[in-house]
Amino acid sequence: MVARLAHPRVLLALGLFLVGAVLAFHAWNGPSDAMLVPRFVLTLWCGVALAITLVEMSRVTGLGSWSLSTLLVLMAAMLIAAIAVASLGFLLPALPLVALTLWLFRLHRPLPLAVGTLAIAGGLWFLFHHVLLIRLPTLLTSGAL
Amino acid sequence: MKPMRHSLALMVLAGASHTAQAQETLEIIVPFAAGGATDIVARSFEPIFSEQLGVTSVIRNLAGASATVGTSEVAKSEGNPNIIGYEPAGALSIQPSLKDLSYGPDSFTYICRTTSNPMFLMVSKSSDIEDFDQLIAASQEQPLLYGSSGPGTLPQLAVAALVGESDLEASHIPYSGSGPAMNALAGNEIQIMADTETILENYDLRPLAVFAHHRIEGYEDVPTISELGLPEMEFSVWQGLVAPKGISDERKTQYSEACQATLESDRFKSFAENAKAGIAYLGPDEFESFVKERFEANKQVLRDTGLLD
Amino acid sequence: MDIILAAVGDAFTWQALLAIVVGTWAGIIIGGLPGLGSVVGLTIFLPFTFGMDTITGMALLIGVYCGSVYGGSITAILINTPGTPQSAATTFDGYPMTQQGRIGEALGWATFASFFGGVLSCVILIFCAPQLAKFAVNFGSIEVFALICLAMMCIVGVSKDSIMKGLVCGMIGFFLSMVGADPITGANRFTFGSYALSSGLTLIPVVVGAFALSEIFMRFASRDDPGAKIPEAKLRFPRLGEWFKRVIELVRGSLIGSFIGALPGTGAAAAAFISYATAQKLSPRREHMGQGEPDGIIASESSNNAVTGSSFIPTLALGIPGDVVTAMMMGAMVIHGITPGVRLMVDQAQTVYALFVVLIIVNVAMLILSKPSIGLFRYLFRLHQGYVMAAIVMFSFIGAATVRGNPLDLVVAAVTGILAYALRRAGYPLAPLVIGMVLGPELESSLRRGLLIKNGDFLGFFTHSGISMALFSLLALFIVWTVWSSLTQWRQSSANARRAESDASK
Repeated sequence: MVARLAHPRVLLALGLFLVGAVLAFHAWNGPSDAMLVPRFVLTLWCGVALAITLVEMSRVTGLGSWSLSTLLVLMAAMLIAAIAVASLGFLLPALPLVALTLWLFRLHRPLPLAVGTLAIAGGLWFLFHHVLLIRLPTLLTSGAL
Repeated sequence: MKPMRHSLALMVLAGASHTAQAQETLEIIVPFAAGGATDIVARSFEPIFSEQLGVTSVIRNLAGASATVGTSEVAKSEGNPNIIGYEPAGALSIQPSLKDLSYGPDSFTYICRTTSNPMFLMVSKSSDIEDFDQLIAASQEQPLLYGSSGPGTLPQLAVAALVGESDLEASHIPYSGSGPAMNALAGNEIQIMADTETILENYDLRPLAVFAHHRIEGYEDVPTISELGLPEMEFSVWQGLVAPKGISDERKTQYSEACQATLESDRFKSFAENAKAGIAYLGPDEFESFVKERFEANKQVLRDTGLLD
Repeated sequence: MDIILAAVGDAFTWQALLAIVVGTWAGIIIGGLPGLGSVVGLTIFLPFTFGMDTITGMALLIGVYCGSVYGGSITAILINTPGTPQSAATTFDGYPMTQQGRIGEALGWATFASFFGGVLSCVILIFCAPQLAKFAVNFGSIEVFALICLAMMCIVGVSKDSIMKGLVCGMIGFFLSMVGADPITGANRFTFGSYALSSGLTLIPVVVGAFALSEIFMRFASRDDPGAKIPEAKLRFPRLGEWFKRVIELVRGSLIGSFIGALPGTGAAAAAFISYATAQKLSPRREHMGQGEPDGIIASESSNNAVTGSSFIPTLALGIPGDVVTAMMMGAMVIHGITPGVRLMVDQAQTVYALFVVLIIVNVAMLILSKPSIGLFRYLFRLHQGYVMAAIVMFSFIGAATVRGNPLDLVVAAVTGILAYALRRAGYPLAPLVIGMVLGPELESSLRRGLLIKNGDFLGFFTHSGISMALFSLLALFIVWTVWSSLTQWRQSSANARRAESDASK
């Protein structure tokens, strides 16, 4: 029974329940007018998530599969790039992210990789930021980069 | 692959020439999404303004949290001479009292006020209420509802102040903007709304009073609040330019002169005519004291009406 | 009559026609790129209209708007990633059809339904705008609350495999929309002291994360699987007999879209979900919906494109923008000296008629341009999968960063993408998350306003007006029907199982 808890599906449902519980606790402690609807929504969330946890636990067998190592690299890169944009501007985090995405999708020849990175990250950035004048987050105060 | 390489080379070329000429790009922050009422005025203002200054400029829409996100971006760019904000009344004179923000009225270099429109107290044309006394009488019989474009906005403050000072019995229903509130007024879900001439002209509305010191041209038969035997009240929807603190006086004068010239240009005047935006220039010092005065006045209203303790 | 002829003349100038072609085509492409939607498209083209005359400028913007609503369906069908939130409901049946190799048919139905919905709503706009506007005004907070409750029922419909999982995703979406300032009191909710969170979460970053980024992760996990390649896009229009067979579906979707579009504050995404939920109850082929049934595409695409025409009804008749997109269009009109409002039809009838003509031409242009646009996507998707995926990442990031200029939205998109991948792998449907986020804010604020109006008396909602009574009875009927049909299904399946068991024991 305890071993089943380690199955990803069960963990996910349990995680949803716990997050919901924390938020619901917060909502029930808040002001009754602003939190009226959140209370209802989050209580329902908790109830349903708990039910899903129980159902998943009764259904799963074994430990499930945990193999997503290279995917984790892509996810982490995306998250780091997204966080970095706020302080480094749009272009600098975008270049390595695109290069990594191309590499991970099995594009290993250097020329296509370089051209692809420059065209997709640099080109789109330039198009929006400098040609269409739709401003993306910037590094320099002058707004050029 | 070939066309791709060509276009890439073109882009690099264009980029080089572009950055060479755009050494100094003035960024005008508009704290609303593109296409909103304030954004439209800013976008008509911007080309003439940058022409006067002789720089290239670009509008950056930075929306959210009742316009305070964009406004605080201006405030925190201290010393940067290439950023200014096109600001609405609420973000400068109401929100700092309501929320715990990173800026206050002292966080800016004030450049100019561009437009100002007095607010009217309005009811639907289909209602039988013809003047303010009838409105009070009707509200005594059955309490009325007034709309606004959101909590803590000028339409709410104006009517809330009126409710505090008179026998008017009315409670507040916030909507997500003037449009939905007008829909509710047309469907008689709410009965009262305070807003500007633009709204008054665009919908079937009847003005009962104006929140200003004197009667307004074109609406000579609409009394001011003080003529109704109530304390004087002034509420107007205004906009203005602010820069971060720490820019040079020379730069500030440049900005305010360009602002004045823009407001006096025929191009902007004809736009303002269409959009019913009342041009109301105030220079740097007058604008600063105006904002601070409005800030204190609004804070008092918020306190009196219990929105702020 | 003269005025109509003059209006047609205004619309058929070469500048206006050029603007329509350019705008519509650009709109289709922008709409098709995940992350970039109607709002980004209009933002790009708004500055170009300043130098144009009124009709040309409006033609460009209307083209971009209608084109982008249609364009979203192309990527929804091809790669299971709706280009815009409005097309989220198109993935339900569009992508299964692609997986079955019926891609040309799916794109054909999406195109034809878009065209049909767009044109029918134009006709409604031209002939019934004043009446519909007057009727829509009767939809106060309480009526809207009832309507949105009804619409929320489609969460049950789109989460076939597990209603519980759908429900929890719906609640997550609903919750995400509640972060930030409370719409009624202005108090901060769930910000935990962070100023960045007080401006709340917006739809585009969440949709980009939930569909586009999670799809990239899904494709990454199966990147060496030859079956996971993006198939060749082609377009096959339905034959006359085929569309005649489904004409009721087309008309129903278009009418629902036209009506929802005329209500201020709803919009095309809500219309598509409501229409899809209705089709699930009323389509004669409802058992197949969700498994690649053209009726699902028709329900979604005819209704979201019908919104494009009818969202002008409150704008033109009352000066009230129906959604963010029409608010932007209204702003553009003001720049060109058209003041939307009650007197517009009287004062500037010629301009208004010219806009109607432009709307119809745009829809025809959309039908003609669908082929080259899909061809372009075919060309793009023929590139190495890496280029396509990297470009989708970039477009998603650009879309999230420009929606309101806040870099936090990029983080929201990335986190949503990672969570959405986990949810998808565990069999949670993601559409309810978007439904919760689209409908949640309106549900909450209409409920709260209704409570203020009724002084806290919730029971008073049911007897508020004829419309609200009708809608609430419909809601009750809907619930009973859903419970009843799932009960009988359950009984049938368990009876079958028992029979199978007894068969086996013999």
